[in-house]
Amino acid sequence: MNRITLMRYGSILQDGKPVTSEPLMCLSSGVDLDEGYTLRSWFQMFEEYSVLTDLNPFLPTLMEQYSSCPKSGCLFDGVDHFEFRKIVEMIGFPGEPRLEIYNSFRGLKNHDELDPRSVRMEHTLDMPVLLGKLKHVVFGDKADIFEFETVYSLFEFIDGIAWELSFFGAPTQCEIGR
Amino acid sequence: MFENILFATTASPTCDNAAKVAFDLALKYDSKKLYVFHVLGVPSRGFSPFVKDLRTGETEQADSEYTEWVLEEMKNTYATLMEGMENCELKTRVGVPHAEILRMAREKDVDLIVMGAHTRQEELGATRYRDVTGRTMRKVAKAARCPVLIISRPCTTCFKLFSHIVFGTDFSKAADSAFLFAYQAAKDVGARLHLFHSFDIGSLRSGRVLSQAEIEEKVEEAKKKMEQKYVSKMGNFDNYEIEIWEGIPYVEILKFAREKQSDLIVMAHHTKEIDPEEAELGSTVEQVVLRSACPVASVNHPDKVSE
Repeated sequence: MNRITLMRYGSILQDGKPVTSEPLMCLSSGVDLDEGYTLRSWFQMFEEYSVLTDLNPFLPTLMEQYSSCPKSGCLFDGVDHFEFRKIVEMIGFPGEPRLEIYNSFRGLKNHDELDPRSVRMEHTLDMPVLLGKLKHVVFGDKADIFEFETVYSLFEFIDGIAWELSFFGAPTQCEIGR
Repeated sequence: MFENILFATTASPTCDNAAKVAFDLALKYDSKKLYVFHVLGVPSRGFSPFVKDLRTGETEQADSEYTEWVLEEMKNTYATLMEGMENCELKTRVGVPHAEILRMAREKDVDLIVMGAHTRQEELGATRYRDVTGRTMRKVAKAARCPVLIISRPCTTCFKLFSHIVFGTDFSKAADSAFLFAYQAAKDVGARLHLFHSFDIGSLRSGRVLSQAEIEEKVEEAKKKMEQKYVSKMGNFDNYEIEIWEGIPYVEILKFAREKQSDLIVMAHHTKEIDPEEAELGSTVEQVVLRSACPVASVNHPDKVSE
């Protein structure tokens, strides 16, 4: 109930039927990903439902970058797939003790993690995207992290990835000054 | 251009990118001195020998033995970068980091402070709800009398080979100092200077859609201001261009910098006409620092950039 499936070519299915209008109504729905879902599928969703690009200030710029990338073969050896996660972190220091909840989008290869900042968009579009488990970090202990099954809403999935992708863009090379 | 440089470090991998830039600058500019400076921690009480380590929260006894040990650690951390550099001096102090960094900068009359954006490694998602940039960096950038070069990502080009410098302005008084630094740097290294302004149509229109004619009028107005405020001060220097865009300023600056493959972004510390003593790091600078693929120089005072 109240779940949607994001299809690999960008459309959204609700109760087995494509959502044709009012995609904003799906923002609070839990998300399942179609088999073969890639980062390109995530961008194709905005081509299909352009109103969703209003959700994050970087989405129009990201769409421009996306449209200038090759239509296929955007792969990167350094990772097997990207994983979207939710992290609940209990923090004791510095500052007052608190609990923070945020999303994260990381590249994974075996057990190694890759910071997406170091990758360029044209190397990532055809990499698979998976939904990961919720990770519970207690007082900075990154070795013993508790993991739980969880649900991601469409809003989280759009906004969390858009936030992380806004960090893409390592410079390629320098030019020599005149 | 940079006779004395202060590199403020946590002596941890978080500052590695900033370290490379600081050492490279000192080498290329044949600086008199590069101070590699680390603040050990905050004293627990009065003249107590115990300090609270700022990264771990642990209490340490900051006696001479401990200080020697930390200096040795710093020496090992930067051994490769320090190779063959005689003008490099390692320093530590006990105290509140931003206050000690500023004190050291004043004492040594440095021309530039180099530091990382954060003192700890953060998940990108987490940065969103925490202070976007490190508190120490913000406080140093606010009060420093010299430019502060903030490095958050690996820098692929050495300063002397910079070919594109973007100066982002909101025409405030603080931006005048930033302009002087950007202009001097561009002249010095032979880089193209991009004078960039983005007007925030969201805040201008107050709920009403601006017509194309109104937007064009704003662009023309901004161009005239650029000519009056900056171009008139550049004499024969012709390696520049003016760009006026519309949109959310930090999004547009980042987009422009990416498009031009910019090597350095120079901005004023804060973007509104307020007393510098009251100013917090402007949200535009903060967002740019966080995401920029190239170093960002925050300039707050004219002291070290006046011709």
